[in-house]
Amino acid sequence: MNYIIKTTGLSKRAKDKALASDINLDVYKGEIYGLLGKNGAGKTTIMKMLTGMTIPTSGEIALFGKSFNEQSKTLLRRVGSLIEYPTFYEHLTAMDNLRLHCEYLGYYDEQGMKQALDLVQLSGIEKKKVKEFSLGMKQRLGLARAIVAKPELIILDEPTNGLDPIGIKDIRDLILVLNKQYGITFVLSSHILGEMEQVVNRIGVIENGRLIQQVALEDIRKQHTDYIELLTSDPKKTVYLLESELGIVNMKLIQGDRIRIYDLKHTQQQISRMLISHNIELEEIQKRNSSLEDYFYKLIHGGGRHD
Amino acid sequence: MIKYMRLEWKKLDTKNVLAEVWIYLIIMMLLPTFFIMKVLPVFGQSYASAIELNSFIQLGYVLFGASLINHVFIEQYKNKTMALSFSYPVSRKTLFTSKILFIAVAVFIVSIISYLLSGLTTYVLNLFFSFIEGELTASHLTSYISKILIGSMLNSIICFVPLFLFGILKRAVVPTIVCSLASMQLPNFSSFIHVQPETIIIVLTVLGVISIGASIMTAEKVGEI
Repeated sequence: MNYIIKTTGLSKRAKDKALASDINLDVYKGEIYGLLGKNGAGKTTIMKMLTGMTIPTSGEIALFGKSFNEQSKTLLRRVGSLIEYPTFYEHLTAMDNLRLHCEYLGYYDEQGMKQALDLVQLSGIEKKKVKEFSLGMKQRLGLARAIVAKPELIILDEPTNGLDPIGIKDIRDLILVLNKQYGITFVLSSHILGEMEQVVNRIGVIENGRLIQQVALEDIRKQHTDYIELLTSDPKKTVYLLESELGIVNMKLIQGDRIRIYDLKHTQQQISRMLISHNIELEEIQKRNSSLEDYFYKLIHGGGRHD
Repeated sequence: MIKYMRLEWKKLDTKNVLAEVWIYLIIMMLLPTFFIMKVLPVFGQSYASAIELNSFIQLGYVLFGASLINHVFIEQYKNKTMALSFSYPVSRKTLFTSKILFIAVAVFIVSIISYLLSGLTTYVLNLFFSFIEGELTASHLTSYISKILIGSMLNSIICFVPLFLFGILKRAVVPTIVCSLASMQLPNFSSFIHVQPETIIIVLTVLGVISIGASIMTAEKVGEI
């Protein structure tokens, strides 16, 4: 397998607190990988270790198949990143900040810098000082900085922070274009799960500093497909009827009165007709989709969202 | 390394730093004349005494070094641009070495300019107000040139005394400045503690070297964000 990132037993402790423990993470070439977890779960710490911002307490990181540590930081020439709040030399202009960044990377293409600003829709503000920027503009400039030197891997921590809905869509489209057209591998984290669902190929779920699962979004969709949710006046009898009359066994009673049917061989109409014919008062019946949010929530809390 | 030092300069608010340098230069330029005329006329007994006085005055650039430690280390830790620097393809040791060399070179150059300006200004003002007795000889000039080089070098080492403890470990501006003020004033109070001023300067220089060494050697551990 062609790994861009592979970590083995990666851990970080600070002040006797484990921020990340035994992380074994794999990111394949050309994919968009999402790190999911609650605030403080350890996503940012992992990203900081991957970008050299913080040194792991133990464990190993391989980037592009080579061991990554303080002595091999030249590998970071191939990585773009935006971690936490976008920080800049605020007294400098947007262009000066990009130039400074690019000099560290040995990249001197002024045209390329302007193109990066164009891509994040920040053209025309090259001479404006960063201290005059709004949070959304800083976020865009941070993204421009991450992509400017045409890296092979881009690591973005909450990339849509501070952006308006149009800005969020723009960034999502930009990530997809860079991934599809240029084959750039992405590692993203976001607390907006619905947003991430539209972009990532695989997710790594982080809980209390541990990577508890890595799974392809496609697999989650296969496992947690659509279901029919219904609300009746007599849930127990409903469950009995569904089983005896329609042969449905893959279902779940939640919140005491709601029934989720995962076995979709019968349509809503067939189920409704059968229940009405047995004098069951049907208050609600809807076909729903189990989202990444449901999966994520179940994984972390070890059960159904409404259980 | 020179590239990284140049980038440290680019990161600074250069207008403010240059304004600060100008203020230092103007004050230091006039201070020897002021001291001889108004505070310590005894240093006007000869050019040798005046040169000695100026050497102690020029220790003031230790404070300029503290100001640069604040800009190059403490502020960058506080506004998180240090973390950004750690994400560049440069090791922490190289990064810290370039920052230290940048400060050392800046203090050295500004000290040399200041020595030259203050020497020239004092000489010219003395032509008008005659506050230094005797004639300026070639041996005075030779002695002054060696003072310029040695004094500037000492400034660029002593200014690092607060770096490791207050600049990197504590990341605190006020203790850094206070430590620098103490370092630059200590030789002036040598008679109170019955120690030769040269001994104090040697001790401060050793402390500066230790602080530089500790900062670079422990960059990966204590330099963490």
